[in-house]
Amino acid sequence: MVVANTGDQSIQLNRQQVRSLFMGGVIPYQLKAVALPPENHTRVLFNTKIIGLTESRIQSYWAQMRFTGRKRAPREFDNETSMLQFLLRNVGATGYLPAGMDVPEQLTVIYTIP
Amino acid sequence: MPWRLWNFVLVCGLALLCNAHPIYAETSDKLQFSGFARVVLGYLDDKDAEYLNYDNSVSIDNESLIGLQADYQMMDSLAITGQLIGHSGEQRDSGIEWLYLTYAPTNTLKLKLGRQRTPFLNYSDVIDVGYAYPWATLPQQTYPRHFFSNFDGLMASYEIPSTLFVMNIEGYWGYFKDKVVVSEREMEAKTTGFHGLISHISFKNWTLRGSYHQGTTSVTLDDVTQFSGLLNQLGFSQSADSLATTGVTEVFQFSANYETVDYFVRGELNRIKADFIFVPDTDGYFLSTGYNYFPFSSYISYSKNTTDYEEPASDIPTGLSPILDGLSYNYLNIFEQLPVNSSEAYTLGTRWDIQPGLALKGEVSLIKGADNESAFFDIKNTAFDREALLYLIALEWVF
Repeated sequence: MVVANTGDQSIQLNRQQVRSLFMGGVIPYQLKAVALPPENHTRVLFNTKIIGLTESRIQSYWAQMRFTGRKRAPREFDNETSMLQFLLRNVGATGYLPAGMDVPEQLTVIYTIP
Repeated sequence: MPWRLWNFVLVCGLALLCNAHPIYAETSDKLQFSGFARVVLGYLDDKDAEYLNYDNSVSIDNESLIGLQADYQMMDSLAITGQLIGHSGEQRDSGIEWLYLTYAPTNTLKLKLGRQRTPFLNYSDVIDVGYAYPWATLPQQTYPRHFFSNFDGLMASYEIPSTLFVMNIEGYWGYFKDKVVVSEREMEAKTTGFHGLISHISFKNWTLRGSYHQGTTSVTLDDVTQFSGLLNQLGFSQSADSLATTGVTEVFQFSANYETVDYFVRGELNRIKADFIFVPDTDGYFLSTGYNYFPFSSYISYSKNTTDYEEPASDIPTGLSPILDGLSYNYLNIFEQLPVNSSEAYTLGTRWDIQPGLALKGEVSLIKGADNESAFFDIKNTAFDREALLYLIALEWVF
């Protein structure tokens, strides 16, 4: 599931918007994506089901974006717990968490992977 | 040699940097350092020719390079970026590849002012960042090396948000002046009124890019200019005009990528039209498909290009006097010496992503050209059959 620290709890994104958000694209909300490290299982699942690309392809994409001055990859956190702490502290921060994880009330689930 | 000095400086800088921060150096939120490096080992399986400076000895100093980029965020919406590259190949100058200011007044609009990479084709602005693409080298048939790699000017980028797709439009205007190698001749080139428009759209598994670029280019070729002046004085204006060293150059490009977790299909085509001698009209394309079996990806590619020069004029009469015959001979000789580089290449390769930021690629390409053409080969023996195998191993690193 994709969760965001947003006051507007009505925000719901579709898959394309989530993909766009995590690939550095623009969506109509002031959200900023954060990520887990490449070897993290939650990240692998997210990449496979939402982004639809292998980890190496995603790394290549960010290399292209960075060295053409277009976009920067989302900030990475060591694990789900540290990501959750960052999400709680920063308005607009958006990340992905495993399905079974408890989501604090301050965060909004904006997309659930079917 | 200048590039050796640059390499030394860059390597020292990178060594210090990477010693402190193994992967990606972030000295503060505002100042960030990053970089890329590639070591490309190449061998051409033919003693009668060279291809992209590769011959039948193993070489490592042709396409290997190292780059360092610094980004400093001066204010929320204002940043400065600089990039230094040290090339091992003598055909590429080392030094500042980029130096520009970025102003982003909104999250959809971005303006960049300064020295930037020229975004002719899909991978033109990352041609040196081998990690960004699957192949060991971009096909010469679609990515001719004579394209100048950067320009000084302004670029505007606007992204259109949508619930269905991501669309980006970029436009730029600028200026270029540097030495270029065209038709095996090094010349000073200047392009003014250089501008282009690029549209980029991502929809589900598709990514499409179309672009158009134009500029007025003049090259300094004193011998050709003097000969053209002589022809003009003698009244052979058609012949004189056909030796123009100034003219409009246009580049059209379209590319499509379709990729999933399991496989990819990528294609790109371009057309280059130039209104002056030494730059032929060129059509090129490549098609590549690959299968991903993480951490490996194997691919096959086919690329082809055709080049055509303007036909020589025929207003110099022959058979009337030895002087006119000599003039005609010298005139036609200029055209006969122009290298025709139509060729095709079949490539088979594998990329191994050893770890994030580090990949090893192995690739073999069969390059073929017509018997009477150069086909990008530097021919050492006239008996050369215009067919050779190029083996490449590339280690790609981003940090």
